[in-house]
Amino acid sequence: MVDLNLLMSTTIYGSVLALLALGITIIYMTTKVFNFAHPRLSLVGAYLAATAMAVYVQHAGIKPNFEGSQVLGGQLIVPYPASVYIIGFLVAMVGGVLAAMFEYYVILKPLLKRGADFLKLMIATLAYDFLLMAVLLLYNTHVWIKKTLKDGLNLIATKMDFSAYDFALITQGQTYISGGFILAVAVTVVLALSLYILLFRTTLGIKMRASVENPPLAEVLGVNVERIYAISWIISGLTAGIAGFLMLLEPSSGSLKPISATSPADEIVVSAFAGSIVGGVNSIFGSIFGGFFIGYVETYVTNWLALLLGMKELFKYSRVVSMFIVGLTLMFAPQGVIALLREKKVVDRILAFVKGRRGEK
Amino acid sequence: MARAIMKLENINAGYEKLQTLFDVNLEVPEGEITVIVGPNGAGKSTLLKTMFGLTKVYTGRIVFDNKDITKLPPHERAKLGMAFIFQLENVFANLSVRENLRLAGHDLPPDVLEERIKEVFETFPRLKERVDQKAGTMSGGERQMLAMAIGMIRKPKIFLIDEPTAGLAPKLAKGVLENVKRLNEQGYTIVLVEQNVKAGLEIGDKGVLVVNGRIAFDGPASELLARKDLARLYLGVGGR
Ligand SMILES: Nc1ncnc2c1ncn2[C@@H]1O[C@H](COP(=O)(O)OP(=O)(O)O)[C@@H](O)[C@H]1O
Ligand SMILES: [Mg+2]
Repeated sequence: MVDLNLLMSTTIYGSVLALLALGITIIYMTTKVFNFAHPRLSLVGAYLAATAMAVYVQHAGIKPNFEGSQVLGGQLIVPYPASVYIIGFLVAMVGGVLAAMFEYYVILKPLLKRGADFLKLMIATLAYDFLLMAVLLLYNTHVWIKKTLKDGLNLIATKMDFSAYDFALITQGQTYISGGFILAVAVTVVLALSLYILLFRTTLGIKMRASVENPPLAEVLGVNVERIYAISWIISGLTAGIAGFLMLLEPSSGSLKPISATSPADEIVVSAFAGSIVGGVNSIFGSIFGGFFIGYVETYVTNWLALLLGMKELFKYSRVVSMFIVGLTLMFAPQGVIALLREKKVVDRILAFVKGRRGEK
Repeated sequence: MARAIMKLENINAGYEKLQTLFDVNLEVPEGEITVIVGPNGAGKSTLLKTMFGLTKVYTGRIVFDNKDITKLPPHERAKLGMAFIFQLENVFANLSVRENLRLAGHDLPPDVLEERIKEVFETFPRLKERVDQKAGTMSGGERQMLAMAIGMIRKPKIFLIDEPTAGLAPKLAKGVLENVKRLNEQGYTIVLVEQNVKAGLEIGDKGVLVVNGRIAFDGPASELLARKDLARLYLGVGGR
């Protein structure tokens, strides 16, 4: 039997990875930097959104609809009015964009101006990641901040239970369709479509694709390539923020639950980069596919192994599956798994490799 | 003599720490073809790139159309009426012919852009047949046509063209230089870098010889063509 709850939470997780991989890919294609801080940008969005939603719920006198609440899939589902989610969505986007713009304008652009190479830029993104981690950790645990939040806003950051914001849409007995699941799929589809229209149906899109392919030629034809880069950072921050918002809706499957400021971004960075790499690093739509692919494979392979070996604690090591897929991708399809579909040669290469191995023995 | 539409004054320029051009003084007369020749690695491409703001200028001044443009980024020079046709990768391979043209004229009003695209198709009917084809899948000659077309869309005041005949068969090369000449007859000012010294200087008005990042000759193209001493010394074509 299909475990519906697992399928739904995995799909939310997959959309989060798809959006994160997308942001990573956009930045790699334009600014040519692997932004290790990217998943943390989404966490900034998530924390700001969670705070804004909590404050809004308390101070606008909104009561969660306890009468309509249900324990579903071992989880208390308390529906809130739509305005709460809209506020969270908007604040998360703003948070993601601000964190991304700070990274580009304050940290990377000055380095780029000085001719920093790929490695220096990458290390700089790591440094920014640590900085954000520290800030979020302070927000979570610092005594004075905690007290101020509690006294002023009646808010306990460490107890911000993100998954409490999921909601049931259609229920039938103990079976329900998670609102977070519908929202995650809808948001990802709408975003992918908008991006497609932007890139392939507008002049700005032509400019973006041109600036990716040949920046000096685009400049010479009157395109302000630096501005195009800035726009791509904004888009990247936007998608990170949305990913952060979706994290708030993930029912407790364990893959995303932000127990503290550090853990989710620390771990998810592996899977997000895996999604980008599986997608081919240079393909926007490949990255969306890669994110979902990693999300499902990671969860279901771990699940299957855990059942097979009877070891529940195996879930802690689900990222190993992603690492393994990255290894396979880089060995057999460095252009990304999508390229597999276009290129028959890759299949031949795998066969040749397997044959070669056998020959050695 | 025609007025100088572009002036380089005491230019020292290069790439970050590597200086490539030394004390360059040069005037580009309006409405003429200025042909730049010189051995490989002399700095001819660097000279064109410097005119367009694609290198680092340490000292000196560049004036275009009576404006000091020394500090202007390339995309703003483009808006002042400069066009550059690169030697390599001079079209967007991943964009269709139409997208290439739309990008080149992105800041024109839509109706003007459509009009210009029509004009370009009259000049190069081959491009019209391939309007939805990706530029990367076209032949070398067709790409060179598209590169010219991209430059023409905005009706620039000056064209910088870097070795348009490199790697083309002699017959095609001749056609390309004829196109350059025709562009000039339509009133465009042209700065042409050409490795085929003889063919280049024959269509040129002014000839410039660059050696080791310095201007070694600056005068009428016919005079440079006649200077066998320079040809033998620097170009290795004296015997031909
Ligand atoms: N992008 C670049 N970065 C660093 N050095 C360069 C670059 N392009 C050219 N050079 C150097 O500048 C010098 C002049 O090159 P170039 O202007 O391309 O010569 P030409 O066009 O006359 O053959 C050469 O020594 C070349 O190695
Ligand atoms: Mg050159």
